[in-house]
Amino acid sequence: MFDLNWRSWGRRLAGLWRASLQLRTVAISVALSALAVGIIGVYMALSVGNNLFTSRLDSALGSSERSNVAAQNRFDATEDSVGLDLERAMDNAAQAALQSASSPDQSTLIAIMRTAGQSGASIPIDKVSPTLDADAIISPELQKLVADSTERRQYWQSVSLPQEDGTVDPGIVVGSALQVPNSGKYEMYLVYNLNDTQETLNFIQQTLWLGCLALVILIGAVTYIVVRLVVGPVRIAAETSEKLAAGQLEVRIPEKGEDVLATLARSFNGMAASLQNQITKLAALSQVQQRFVSDVSHELRTPLTTIRLAGDVLYDQRDTFPPATARTAELLHTQVQRFELLLADLLEMSRYDAGAVDMETEPTSLVRLVEDAVESVATLAASKGSDLRVVAPGGYFEADVDSRRIRRILQNLLGNAIDHGEGRPIVIHVDSDKHAVAIAVRDYGVGMTPAAMDRVFDRFWRADPSRQRVTGGTGLGLAISLEDAVLHGGWLEVWSAPGEGSCFRLTLPRERGVELHSSPMELPPVEALPEREDSDA
Amino acid sequence: MRAMNAKILVVDDDTALAEMIGIVLRTEGFEPFFCADGTGAVEAFHLAKPDLVLLDLMLPGIDGIEVCARIREESGVPIIMLTAKSDTSDVVKGLESGADDYVVKPFNPKELVARIRTRLRPTPDAPTGSLTVGDVSLDVAGHEVRRGDDRINLTPLEFELLLALALKPQQVFTREMLLEQVWGYHYKADTRLVNVHVQRLRAKVEVDPDNPRIVMTVRGVGYRAGSTA
Repeated sequence: MFDLNWRSWGRRLAGLWRASLQLRTVAISVALSALAVGIIGVYMALSVGNNLFTSRLDSALGSSERSNVAAQNRFDATEDSVGLDLERAMDNAAQAALQSASSPDQSTLIAIMRTAGQSGASIPIDKVSPTLDADAIISPELQKLVADSTERRQYWQSVSLPQEDGTVDPGIVVGSALQVPNSGKYEMYLVYNLNDTQETLNFIQQTLWLGCLALVILIGAVTYIVVRLVVGPVRIAAETSEKLAAGQLEVRIPEKGEDVLATLARSFNGMAASLQNQITKLAALSQVQQRFVSDVSHELRTPLTTIRLAGDVLYDQRDTFPPATARTAELLHTQVQRFELLLADLLEMSRYDAGAVDMETEPTSLVRLVEDAVESVATLAASKGSDLRVVAPGGYFEADVDSRRIRRILQNLLGNAIDHGEGRPIVIHVDSDKHAVAIAVRDYGVGMTPAAMDRVFDRFWRADPSRQRVTGGTGLGLAISLEDAVLHGGWLEVWSAPGEGSCFRLTLPRERGVELHSSPMELPPVEALPEREDSDA
Repeated sequence: MRAMNAKILVVDDDTALAEMIGIVLRTEGFEPFFCADGTGAVEAFHLAKPDLVLLDLMLPGIDGIEVCARIREESGVPIIMLTAKSDTSDVVKGLESGADDYVVKPFNPKELVARIRTRLRPTPDAPTGSLTVGDVSLDVAGHEVRRGDDRINLTPLEFELLLALALKPQQVFTREMLLEQVWGYHYKADTRLVNVHVQRLRAKVEVDPDNPRIVMTVRGVGYRAGSTA
């Protein structure tokens, strides 16, 4: 569960990363500046620490040297080598040494010890500050160095000083040798507590890191503001062009100032204006043209009706005419009919072009529609020798359709199948699933080349101009059928192969307004092949 | 001309077409009268007292739909619209204003004559006597429909539609069946004819047209008469 959450968060973050230029820019600049500031910060911290230590060490060595001189002077001044004096001299020396150490606080500790391995009594006895655990703090290596030194050289070592409250302070031990008259070699160690220096260092480092953090945040904020300043107008431009693409031709970008973004806005607006001009002009032109086609079709209808009536009256009386006039009456009759069909299709097409089509849908059984359509072309099919078969496995055949339009599609498809079917059987498949109903009209006739398939829905396109048509199509049939299918939210698709025949598949959603995702039928439908050998016989 | 010939008023502004229709009608034994605009149409109707009106929808003066409504106000005489547009809105508007049927230009003479004859024929051999649908009674011979003592004024077409349903109360009629029986279409025609006239009929015979009891809808199939109970 948690893992899942995490993953989805990861995905969302990745999505945000890809989607937001702002986030990306800010994140990258923050990361890079954090790296740079980090490196500088570490370098500064190290060098400050180093410097502090060096200067503290120098002062420690200086004061230690002064202390050594002071202590040595005390001892040298003691003429008397009697024990008591020597003891006092030791005290004095220690005190003098401490004073010379001139530590601002009283944290400097001292140990004066007789170098081990010398003959004679250890007088005066070793002097060690009460809080100093000499054995633990002063390492044998340092002792050895001091003990072996011949001149009054100083040796130092960094140590850790455990405090009473449990903390450990850093410190330096500086060791040097002393010569006590009549007693031999002594070692003096001064232990400097560096806690105050450490605190100073800590404070500096803390300030430094806070400064770095503030700097990085500042850089982030500055980047954010800068990016906003630049990305904002770009985003507005993107949104505006999206609106423009969606058809809101009147949208514009506000133009402010004289900078490059303002130039972008100005040229964008110029582009939008000219685009709007062109589109408006084209739309008006196309509207005028569509109106014209529609008006012409309507205006043609009344005289055509008169011609039609006149032609029919003549046609009915053709038996009483001389043969040439009778034939003329016949030709007039058939051609007026053809003209009429053409006009009807043209008008329907112009209605689609003008977007002025209405649908009258009601739940309709498509199998029944198919059967009706098959019945209506049965005579025609019989005259061409084509056998019409309906294959309809059970299913949900009812669909919300405009039956007039669907009938028109079916009649058109069947007419084409009969025209190009070469007298072979024509199979009409009807199948359905929960969401869609499909009707496929399959013929086993001449078929089409892929180039022809591409153009089959074009207006006034004919598969083979020399081919004699029985159904007297206008060349607009499939174009109208396609529009009818699209109006229903459906598909009209074609499959064909030369010599194997063609298949047109109409897929309709069972409910109006439901988007189609798949057809319940293959194209061409999977089938038990009808006896093609028979049809050739 | 024989006095028996049915009189037909042709209202069309295109004189050539009107004349041609006149020729066709005369050939078929009808007696045509003409009117070329909408303004004079109602007056011409009064003068001619036709048995049927052929009415162009696009007329100068008052348009065909208005003329149709005015004639319908005073008479149930059959009206067939002539229209250049088969678009839904125009046809439906015409039917709703009371036209019985329509013919789309260009039509052929046989089609026109068939439409006219269907509308002029006497009610087919129906049993004489009385039928009841829901709470209304039909006097078949007298072409009268009554709810209790109130007479309901129906056009001949509306009466035929109701009669068709009432004769077979058990049967559900598809729109196609009604088109064939009442309008005389033997091929697939516009089912809007049925829809619109059922609405008009319901407006007259139903107590509550939104909740019909006389002409019931059978969803996805068609209509049937309401039960007599």
